[in-house]
Amino acid sequence: MQNVLSILFCLSLFYLAVTPRVKAYVAVLRFQGILLTILLMLPFIEQFSIFAVILPATLFIIKVIVIPRYINKIILELDIKRTIEPTIQQFNFLLLVIFSFIIIFLAASILSQSTEIEIIPFASGFAAVAVGIFIIIFRKKLIIHVAGFLVLENGIFLFGTAVASELPIMIEIGVLLDVFVVVFLMGIALNRISSTFEGFDVTILRRLKD
Amino acid sequence: MLEFSVLILIPLIAAAVCYLIKGTRSQYAISLTVSAFHLLFSFIIFIGLYKPNLPFFFSTDPLSKLFLLILSNVYFWVVLISFSYLKRPVTSKAEAGKKYYFLLLNFYLFANTAAILSNHFGMYWVAAEATTLSVAPLIYYYRNEEALEAMWKYLFLVSVGIAFAFIGILFLTLSANGTIMEGQQLFFSEFVKNATKLNPIWLKASFIFIFVGLSTKIGIAPMHSGDVDATSNSPSPIAALMSGSLRITALLGVMRIFQILTPTTSYEFAKLILIIGGLLSVAVAFIFMFKVNNYKRLLAYSSVEHLGIITLGIGVGGLAFAGAMYHVIYNSLNKMVLFFTAGNIHSRFKTREVNGIKSVINLMPWTGWLFLLSFFAISAIPPFGIFFSELMIFEGMLFSNKPWILAVTMFLLLFIFINMGKTLFQMLYGEKSEKAIQEKESFEIIHFSVIVLLILLIAIGTISPGILQENILSISKDFGIRL
Repeated sequence: MQNVLSILFCLSLFYLAVTPRVKAYVAVLRFQGILLTILLMLPFIEQFSIFAVILPATLFIIKVIVIPRYINKIILELDIKRTIEPTIQQFNFLLLVIFSFIIIFLAASILSQSTEIEIIPFASGFAAVAVGIFIIIFRKKLIIHVAGFLVLENGIFLFGTAVASELPIMIEIGVLLDVFVVVFLMGIALNRISSTFEGFDVTILRRLKD
Repeated sequence: MLEFSVLILIPLIAAAVCYLIKGTRSQYAISLTVSAFHLLFSFIIFIGLYKPNLPFFFSTDPLSKLFLLILSNVYFWVVLISFSYLKRPVTSKAEAGKKYYFLLLNFYLFANTAAILSNHFGMYWVAAEATTLSVAPLIYYYRNEEALEAMWKYLFLVSVGIAFAFIGILFLTLSANGTIMEGQQLFFSEFVKNATKLNPIWLKASFIFIFVGLSTKIGIAPMHSGDVDATSNSPSPIAALMSGSLRITALLGVMRIFQILTPTTSYEFAKLILIIGGLLSVAVAFIFMFKVNNYKRLLAYSSVEHLGIITLGIGVGGLAFAGAMYHVIYNSLNKMVLFFTAGNIHSRFKTREVNGIKSVINLMPWTGWLFLLSFFAISAIPPFGIFFSELMIFEGMLFSNKPWILAVTMFLLLFIFINMGKTLFQMLYGEKSEKAIQEKESFEIIHFSVIVLLILLIAIGTISPGILQENILSISKDFGIRL
């Protein structure tokens, strides 16, 4: 089941690589949030406890409801154009993503010989980190950078479940809250940027240089 | 529970109170009281009068005691001068933002103390990220375009960086697979005890990820740009806070993982990485000192340089390691002095360009002379503390197995000194322009703080208190270094 969810997660990454629409990014973030929630709920099918539901519930609220809504609100308020304004061609971007997927999956299978890891979630998580970075590098819009950061975070989360690290629930929730506040602050900053500068892409942030 | 409440809970409560109280004066009074208690308590813990027994994921060791004292000290002085700083006129937009100033400062103290005292990698991560979050709005204090850009870049770069550090922490979990640590919690102390049993490949990967990720926050090359922008565009007290305490909190994370690597086969590898990072930072500062024309940026690069020297010292090991620990203390004191006086210059001349500033010594004698002394202090002129710590680091380098590092570092530092001196003397002396109004500079609390801090810099350096020496010796012992 974990593998199925991870593969779905990978598919969502491929969709990100080809879609030119800003809205699609938000939809994918929501979808990934749902996948991660289901992933966290899996152990409780056999052994249910109210206490252990807190984490998936928080994850669901933050990653599926609050953050996508917040980003949608920013897009509406700032009247951001619907396309993502890539800096390289979409096809080349897709090639880059596919290429990094191949490398990461190969590396994961080699690594799994010496250490006990779940190959598919491990590699999918890492691939999401790579795709998140690529999105930040090859897209101009700042709001898409935020989305790229969130994809990266989702990747790390998936990766965390793959290495079976069990952080205490308090810390997990702290991590989620931190991510939420980062996005919240970035949203405020974006609002200010739109009222201070003309536009929302990285090309306007050129004042600070040596 | 007493120590936990004074060090961690009270700052959080103070932040909440600052949200409810509107007057800046009462917010200041509360923050100052909290910071004084915090400093007092950190000092008592440091000199060993009180044995702290922290609950949950927190604990103390010689390293965290030292860093806690540095944090408390920096924070206290920053709060002390903040009120006089807040009184200075700014744009109406910035005026509105002042009401969150002390709230964020208190939250910063809470988060940073939690990060320093944490004994758990997860807790450290959460707290370190929270410090970024509390500092980011403070960078945007002036509400202008530069500040906005600096805040965005800092927030983004550090958040991505710290996400990488999280991957590093997950790798650390992997390194414990198949040992008795498997499935255990990520406590530093446990990892240090069982370090030799960990898987070396994952441990190396973990070190690289944590080092690269946190170096965005430490501000060492090549990930220094966000930090430099933030330090140079934030108000001076915040710049001092970042250079003096926030950077070393991130350094603490790197030192924790480095400590785990100490008894393993990956030790030499980690040392090499630290040396490369350190040398690169000094080199970057060297290059930028040639063409910097913004004096706050110059000071920010000086931070890059000194954090680079500290990293270098830790990487070289031996006596250089102890020197690096002293350097952490002196650097934090010295950066405060520099940024406080630079803040005074900025509010008088309203510019950060070196070319727009002339004859500071004549126009503002107090600030001018103190700025000059601070420059001497940061350039390691005796009897200021940095001289002694750099001497130790250099001696350590000379007697290590890589003495060439010393030659390279000395060469770079010489030119940094010349270029920095050239720029600063141009500001301090030179013909004053016709229109400059001659108004007498009054002695303010900032000057008082700077004088006290400079005296501290000399006193700690020359007297070298036994308790500090003992502490640094036990830190070195924890890192497997016999002096």
